[in-house]
Amino acid sequence: MAVNNRLINPGAGFARAGFAGMLCLALLLMSSVAMAAKYDVAPPSGAYKGEDVPQPIEFPHNKHVKENGINCMYCHTYARRSKVAGIPPTSKCMGCHKVIATDKPRIQKLTKYWEDKTPPVWKKVHDVPDFVHFTHQKHLKKLVFDRDFPVENVKEVCAFCHGELENMTVAKKVKPLNMGFCVRCHIKNKELGAPGDCWKCHK
Amino acid sequence: MSETMSGKMNRRSFLKVMGWSTAGATLAGCDLPSTVTLEEGKEDVVSYLMPEEYVIPGVGVWYASTCTQCAAACGIHGRVREGRVLKLEGNPDASLNHGKLCMMGQAGVQGHYNPDRITSPLMRSGGNLTPVSWDKALALLEEKLGAVNGERFAWFTGTISGHQAALVDNHLEAMGSSTHYVHEVVNNAVSRAVYQDMLGESNPRLRLDKAKMIVSFGADFMGASVSPVHYAGQYAKFRTNKERGLLVQVEPKMSLTGGSADLWLAIKPGTEAVLALGMANLLLNKIKVSDAGIPADVRSLIDSHDITKVARITGVAGHRIQRVTQLLTERSPSLVLPGANAEGQAQGYDTVAAIMMLNHILGNVGKTIESSGEFPFPQLMARQGGTADLLAFAEAAKSQKLDAVIFHGSNPLFTAPASLGLSEAMASIGFKVAIAQFPDETSMAADLVLPVNSYLEDWGTQVPANQGEDAAIHVQQPLMEKLHADTRGFGDILLTLLKQRKNDEYAQFEDYYAYLRNAFAAMPAGVKNNAKNNNEFWNTALQTGVIKVASGARQLSSKVVSFAAPAEGGAGLTLIPSPRLGLFDGRHANLPWLQEAPDQISKVVWDSWAEMHPATAAKLGINDRDLIKVSSAQGNITLRVTLLKGMNADAIAVPLGNGHTDYGRYAKDLGVNPLQILDAIKEKKTGELAMYGTQVTVKKVGPADDVSLVRMGASDTQAGRKLVATIPVEQLRRTEGS
Amino acid sequence: MSLDNILNHWSDYRKGAEEGGHHDYEHRWAMAINLDLCIGCNACSTACYAENNLAVVGKQKFEKGQAMHWMRIERYWDQQELEHPEQGASFLPMMCQQCGAATCEPVCPVAATYHTPDGLNAQVYNRCIGSRYCSNNCPFRVRYFNFYSYYESSWPQPLEQQLNPDLSVRDKGVMEKCTFCVQRIRTVKDKAYMEDRKVEDGEVTPACAQACPTSAIVFGDTMDENSRVAKLWKKHQVERGVYQKTRHAKKNADLRGYRIFEELNVDPSVMYLERVREDV
Repeated sequence: MAVNNRLINPGAGFARAGFAGMLCLALLLMSSVAMAAKYDVAPPSGAYKGEDVPQPIEFPHNKHVKENGINCMYCHTYARRSKVAGIPPTSKCMGCHKVIATDKPRIQKLTKYWEDKTPPVWKKVHDVPDFVHFTHQKHLKKLVFDRDFPVENVKEVCAFCHGELENMTVAKKVKPLNMGFCVRCHIKNKELGAPGDCWKCHK
Repeated sequence: MSETMSGKMNRRSFLKVMGWSTAGATLAGCDLPSTVTLEEGKEDVVSYLMPEEYVIPGVGVWYASTCTQCAAACGIHGRVREGRVLKLEGNPDASLNHGKLCMMGQAGVQGHYNPDRITSPLMRSGGNLTPVSWDKALALLEEKLGAVNGERFAWFTGTISGHQAALVDNHLEAMGSSTHYVHEVVNNAVSRAVYQDMLGESNPRLRLDKAKMIVSFGADFMGASVSPVHYAGQYAKFRTNKERGLLVQVEPKMSLTGGSADLWLAIKPGTEAVLALGMANLLLNKIKVSDAGIPADVRSLIDSHDITKVARITGVAGHRIQRVTQLLTERSPSLVLPGANAEGQAQGYDTVAAIMMLNHILGNVGKTIESSGEFPFPQLMARQGGTADLLAFAEAAKSQKLDAVIFHGSNPLFTAPASLGLSEAMASIGFKVAIAQFPDETSMAADLVLPVNSYLEDWGTQVPANQGEDAAIHVQQPLMEKLHADTRGFGDILLTLLKQRKNDEYAQFEDYYAYLRNAFAAMPAGVKNNAKNNNEFWNTALQTGVIKVASGARQLSSKVVSFAAPAEGGAGLTLIPSPRLGLFDGRHANLPWLQEAPDQISKVVWDSWAEMHPATAAKLGINDRDLIKVSSAQGNITLRVTLLKGMNADAIAVPLGNGHTDYGRYAKDLGVNPLQILDAIKEKKTGELAMYGTQVTVKKVGPADDVSLVRMGASDTQAGRKLVATIPVEQLRRTEGS
Repeated sequence: MSLDNILNHWSDYRKGAEEGGHHDYEHRWAMAINLDLCIGCNACSTACYAENNLAVVGKQKFEKGQAMHWMRIERYWDQQELEHPEQGASFLPMMCQQCGAATCEPVCPVAATYHTPDGLNAQVYNRCIGSRYCSNNCPFRVRYFNFYSYYESSWPQPLEQQLNPDLSVRDKGVMEKCTFCVQRIRTVKDKAYMEDRKVEDGEVTPACAQACPTSAIVFGDTMDENSRVAKLWKKHQVERGVYQKTRHAKKNADLRGYRIFEELNVDPSVMYLERVREDV
């Protein structure tokens, strides 16, 4: 990692927009191969009535997921590589929106952020307390990749905890994401190796 | 489950969890229907604009850099997550420290994130330092340094090396000056002078790992020394060699290294040379080792030091001296090391020469003392300091020979004995610039303070004066974006200074980063180690943090230098201002982890204290924890005493570190500074300050109390429990090794 | 231990090590500390402060015994009868011994401290109600109680930016102690899981062992026979378990390995190697 720690470097961003486009294509290709899931998973149960959270840009999940069929992990790319799914960097948005829908006010607002070199400050919707070690990547491995669950349908797995985002604009919390919610699911899926040890999650 | 838990085990929100600009989170019972875990929409999520590909939120990335917490310049790795450096470790690629790091290195992050950093330029106006813009600060710098006569300008720094040192030289040249004071309290300057005269080089490679026995005359090589981690690593090899190495430590106050000795001998302070001569006498006259190469005057000195006389003067039992000397001949190769106590006397040079003579007699030169070779970049080598430059600086200031001085990485107003009158003398210097990270004594006395980046935010190169197995240049790179908008890199400030003098030469470098890249590109092909191009060389250098360079071969000489008849120690109590691994010479007093870390030997925290042998204390009517006044001819300090058997009866030790009158919330007005009451005795041959030559008197001024002096641990003894079990080496030999 | 387990298998979890313990262990993390190499330099202790978000309490609270040093170096003077300590000092790095038959566990009224399948003595801060029974029952005095909330005093801005997000900052009323750097274990285990492999020996290094300038501390999994730590335990004939039922006396009494307070039958996970001194 030869780095001069200039993490913010818009110049390089433009250069990489082409790469992002290619990745987009690759994911679409992948999604055309349907596979059957190896084992069943009992989804967590529990509901929660969340509040509307105003965001700097009213990001339409429905438009991206439902209408355009973009995979969750295309934008939330860290989910399979890290604890956190991550909010996509502005450069990722601009990878498409340099050319797509540039006349829309929300895109113009986004473009302004990009040009000002200040990423929008989003409000957190889905969160667990800081003393909880929750990792997206292990859940995805167990619930999607190891199971040969069709990756194009990953949104069904994401919906376990995040609800049907394809029907929302900005995200809204519809699952309680509290300890009971986690533990019930872990007990149900004990046979699959869902751990029951306190220190697996409490840090 | 919710039914079971409901109403019965409602837990409080115990945890205030850390947050990066977040409020503390609350947690209620795990599944109570009426409560939630976290409220949505309350915290911010900061996303990246355009991250590097390897930057993944939630995953730590390690970057290589170089530690500057002391002059050793160990290689480090810093763990960076979400743009913050969290933890430092040793860099395994650095053969100096092999992935290890001492407590001072560990605490580096606390200097970086310290709440008391200087965050904007400060200019003196109407007696006070007030914040100003960089433009204003630089304009003043340009004006004042432009007007100064070059011969009346100087730099005053701590140990400095690499490209920063080269730029300081260039700046001095541009100013028409050649005065660069380099000051370190923890130094081996006197030894370096002896090494140079005896061996032909001043920083030979000491191979503790190859020695079968070490006799250390107060060399605290694993503690507050010139390269503690390096020598601790060598010590580990020394102890785990097939034949376990034997360590004998001779010193008036037990040091960290002394704590690990097989045999610890309390010598009367200032009599180290006498002991060395006595051992030489035994070697030549009793054991009949060849005296080849020993000058006649030294030989007659040796002959006049028979064992009875030596035992009487040094306070070390004759049979001990005989046994240790005998073992030195049996356990060859051995290594005899001079330490700060031997150096810090009016005849320090002579004492070290006498000690080093033992290595000559024992044939250790070339076996456990090796040449470190010819370093191919002399302009990057460390400018090593001592205290001679502090004394020279004080004299120059007193005789009004200086008009402008730039200070960096040193705090002379804290480390100078009060008898030098430095504080008043410095007032005569018209323009004092401090390139400083903290409001310490010196920077707060400056006329202009330039806030510098922490070493974790800065670019640079460091060349360890005491190299590891391979000669290397250590690379320093920022581990994160700088914390405070208005601080600047040391190299950048140097470039600015140079641009003010020689713009045509330096205008091509936009910043120090550009300068370093250019300098790296200009390095000879041999150093680049088959890198395809300059970019690859640069990237590899940053990745590993280490540029290995091949040293030219060099042969050590082994010439016994003549020295005068030794002194026999003071008549009263000698003050030992002992540096500690931790607060060191006082530079780390503002790091709370190091204040809270108990002193390794006395276990005192958050304070200054005096260490005395119980017998000495009893004679003076002093009890453990009493408040005492330690007076020299120069002044006095009042502090509490902790009784310690690891002391010679003629010595009183006051560890360094505290007694700051400035330096932020953790250091200010805590404890006392023993350096203040030192006599300004000069070492006769090198002009160094004889730090261990001050005689003091001690008087009880207040009774013991349990809360004023805080020591870790309730018990000083194992009370018969098998906690630290000790076995004789014979038992080890039956199972491991020879 | 899930809540499910707490409620349904409480007695299982209270089963002592002399009855074979209560776990099918996945790992048994352990240490071997060579006291002949420990120089008492405090590198481990400071590294622990840096890694584990330990609060700095200051002089007054330190005096009251409220310091939070999870890893501390004890310094003992032997040979009290001599005028000088001629064999130097005796240094002892002391931290939670992660006992297999821990005395702290059964006394916790809320099961906040319990044994994990990794062989660790866990402390779940959220469950802890601060009864301090565990610390009273610990023979090693290695449990530290948060008598105060240190968040504001110990980490004035911007010092709080150094805090390690991989573990909590404990607040007032909670007991805490050395975890063998469980966050590092967790990270490595997650990585191994993602790569469908087992954790390799040497992959997990606690902060203390990583810093130690003399490499006196060896850490690893004693269930992995090929690990350095397992080999050291075996070489020194120190076995897991409780003395009377499962352990045999050493065949070779000269071997240096021992566990502190072996006679208490708490099955510590830390083996010390005796300090060696050569008589001169």
